[in-house]
Amino acid sequence: MNSPDLTLDDLERDALTEIVNIGVSRAASNLRKMIGGEVLLSVPSIDVVSQRRAARLISEREVTELVAVRQGFEGPFSGRALLIFPETNSLELVRAVTGGELSAAEVVEMEVEALAETGNVILNSCLATMANMLKRSLTMTVPEVLRGTGASLFEVDESASSEGLVLFLYIDFAVRKHDIRGYIAMIMDIPSLGILKELLDEFIARVVGDDG
Amino acid sequence: MADPAFGGDPIRSILAAAGASGTWDWDIAADRLAVDERFAELYGLSAGEASALPPSMFFKAIHAADRARMRIAVAGMIAGAEQFSKEFRIVAPDGTILWVHGRGQTHFDESDQPVRFTGLLVDVTARKRTEERLRVAQSTGGVGTFEYSDGFATATVSNEFCRLLGLYPAEILPVPTINAVLKSKDEPPLIPESHRGGPPETLDHVFCIVRNDDGAERWIARRGEIVREGQDGGYRLIGVIYDVTATKEQEAALRDLNETLEARIEQAVAERQRIEEALRQAQKMEAVGNLTGGIAHDFNNLLTIILGNIDTATRRLDSDADPRARRALENALKGAERATSLTQRLLAFSRRQPLAPRAIDAGRLLAGMSDLLTRSITETIAIQVSSSPGLWTVEVDPNQLENVILNLAVNARDAMPDGGALTIDASNASIAADASSDVPAGSYVVISVGDTGTGMAPETVAQVFDPFFTTKEVGKGTGLGLSMVYGFIKQSGGHVQIRSALGQGTTVALYLPRLYRESEALEDDVRIGAERGTLAETILVVEDDDDVRAYTVGLLRELGYRVTEASNGFAALKLIEANDQPISLLMTDVVMPKMSGSQLVDAAQQIRPELKVLFTSGYTRDAIMRDGKLDTDVDLLSKPFTYPVLAAKVRDVLDR
Repeated sequence: MNSPDLTLDDLERDALTEIVNIGVSRAASNLRKMIGGEVLLSVPSIDVVSQRRAARLISEREVTELVAVRQGFEGPFSGRALLIFPETNSLELVRAVTGGELSAAEVVEMEVEALAETGNVILNSCLATMANMLKRSLTMTVPEVLRGTGASLFEVDESASSEGLVLFLYIDFAVRKHDIRGYIAMIMDIPSLGILKELLDEFIARVVGDDG
Repeated sequence: MADPAFGGDPIRSILAAAGASGTWDWDIAADRLAVDERFAELYGLSAGEASALPPSMFFKAIHAADRARMRIAVAGMIAGAEQFSKEFRIVAPDGTILWVHGRGQTHFDESDQPVRFTGLLVDVTARKRTEERLRVAQSTGGVGTFEYSDGFATATVSNEFCRLLGLYPAEILPVPTINAVLKSKDEPPLIPESHRGGPPETLDHVFCIVRNDDGAERWIARRGEIVREGQDGGYRLIGVIYDVTATKEQEAALRDLNETLEARIEQAVAERQRIEEALRQAQKMEAVGNLTGGIAHDFNNLLTIILGNIDTATRRLDSDADPRARRALENALKGAERATSLTQRLLAFSRRQPLAPRAIDAGRLLAGMSDLLTRSITETIAIQVSSSPGLWTVEVDPNQLENVILNLAVNARDAMPDGGALTIDASNASIAADASSDVPAGSYVVISVGDTGTGMAPETVAQVFDPFFTTKEVGKGTGLGLSMVYGFIKQSGGHVQIRSALGQGTTVALYLPRLYRESEALEDDVRIGAERGTLAETILVVEDDDDVRAYTVGLLRELGYRVTEASNGFAALKLIEANDQPISLLMTDVVMPKMSGSQLVDAAQQIRPELKVLFTSGYTRDAIMRDGKLDTDVDLLSKPFTYPVLAAKVRDVLDR
């Protein structure tokens, strides 16, 4: 965080958390319909960190390789959104989503397709909700599935003089009683984060009014 | 115990302790809020109005500091978020502040539109206080907590735990992430995983870690308890960690200090031992000196008797006497003379030999020694004796100086078993005041004796002046040679320098102080002759040793003197006072019991100031000695003495 302006204050952080919560709730509802089973999704907290820090953060928490679904978004603020799972959890997610009726080989075969679909539902819901709640519109690209380390997923460029910021959200994900640990990350450049911050302030003013 | 936070209201305290809860039902479509009795009580609402409230009532009792946050959270729920789980403060009607945990969910219609938001409000004040205390304890005490359940891959940790290890704050961390901070992978793990087989024996351990964020190396202590659960051997590890780097550093500093302290004490003790050793050596030398001095004194007395009697016997032999008897007496004389020379050396070593220094020319003395040296030194050694012209005069006992030079020459010879060159040289030397020399500033005549022999190692050089130190084989040297040299030169006011290195030969330089007195009349050698006396000359002999007295009296009578005798000072004084026969010469031993020779002389000269005096002594560290040299106006006859020496000395004193 190069400038104090870009630090989200407590309310901005709460507001963004709640907006993403609405997004993942919609995603959960969509997933429930998709797989016909229980899906619970919630986002307890959010951090704004540098790309490098995000990479270190996730590597501290996850000791295995990571699998991610990535989608670009463009609008008043632009960037890339990622849904990240530790590799072990991703297969479990596929098994949960498919109802546990597939063989191990089939799970592996279906992994990319199932992940892309699940990620698309969740990320789309989140970004669409954000656009809706902040009263702006965003366009999204087609999702892609990536594997790698924190550094590669967060596009850490050691030679870059300035780096972008990452909105780092933890998600609690329970599918058919399977607890799956995952993360949502939004990589944005500094101007985009500045605009997001302004839009969040407008949202807070609307919701809290004079009561704050 | 009533919690003061509840204002002493017992019912509320009990309800709070029981985790009393209220429920709400927010009809989003109808824009109406319904709450139960307990919720109403928390909010200070009457039971009647609790079923149809405006939804804004939900925020009415919420603490101002939490209200904006809760409005945002509820806005999310109304807009379609599913899960609600928030902790916030409410202000009860009596002003009491309670922490509550709101847990709720949104209900949707068929078209996924949120229609109701229902939930449960639980009073968590007691838990919140406990958490606060725990948090403050952790942050101010720098203590991080962890909990690990057997079989899991992660551990539950506190923020302070993460901070101590330099990890990003998290509630749950994978065990490998935690253990990766350890500096050495050979150390036991910070969080022991269950696959290592059974619970650890203890959680007490100190680890060296490298903090993950700044790379700092720290010492972390871990303490805790192992809680066994169930019957299948399951367990939980609950513990704390805290930084002990400062303590470790202090320990190290203290240990360092202790170690250097030991070294310093060792050094001081070694120094002290060295000084004690030197003192012991000095005391030993003093004791040996006293002993040898005493022995030499007694021997000199005995030798006086032996020599005197041999002398007398020899003189009494007729020319036609048995030649074997004469030869036997000659042999006895030789033996006694050798014994005399030995006692002389013992006295020199104990620096108690009476010296008779005279103004001499060292060059002439060296020249006179050439013959003697040539005879003493083997032919394989080239001898060069030289002296610079214009040598200053020195004041020294010439006989002893000859002894010393001969001694050094013999040492040089022994250092050159395969031949070499012996150089003896005398020259003038002026030592400047600022010169870095062992020798004090002044003018000296330096006599150096150098060889091209084996030389000595520095540690040997350091010891050569020690009495009884010898590099020669047992029985070949007395170990007294160089210490005698040292004692003599020191007694003569000079200095000795020795330069030597292994294979480089040895040079001993004797520094004798220059004599500034007019020295045109250098004294000749002692005249030797048998000057006789007359009966008109009365000599009073005072000597406590009967044999020595008898011998001395006999000799003097033989020389023609009238002799009276006394065995102590008191008897002598009576004779002098009586003055039956005018006494020409008082000849007294120096060391006598009760009244010493010099005391006797003092008393006698009170009666007869002009009385002439000759001291005899075999042991002379007494009042007649000043700095090891005789007072110039005191005459001393060293024991043992022979007939001609006695004759010459007595005549000399009487004739002055």
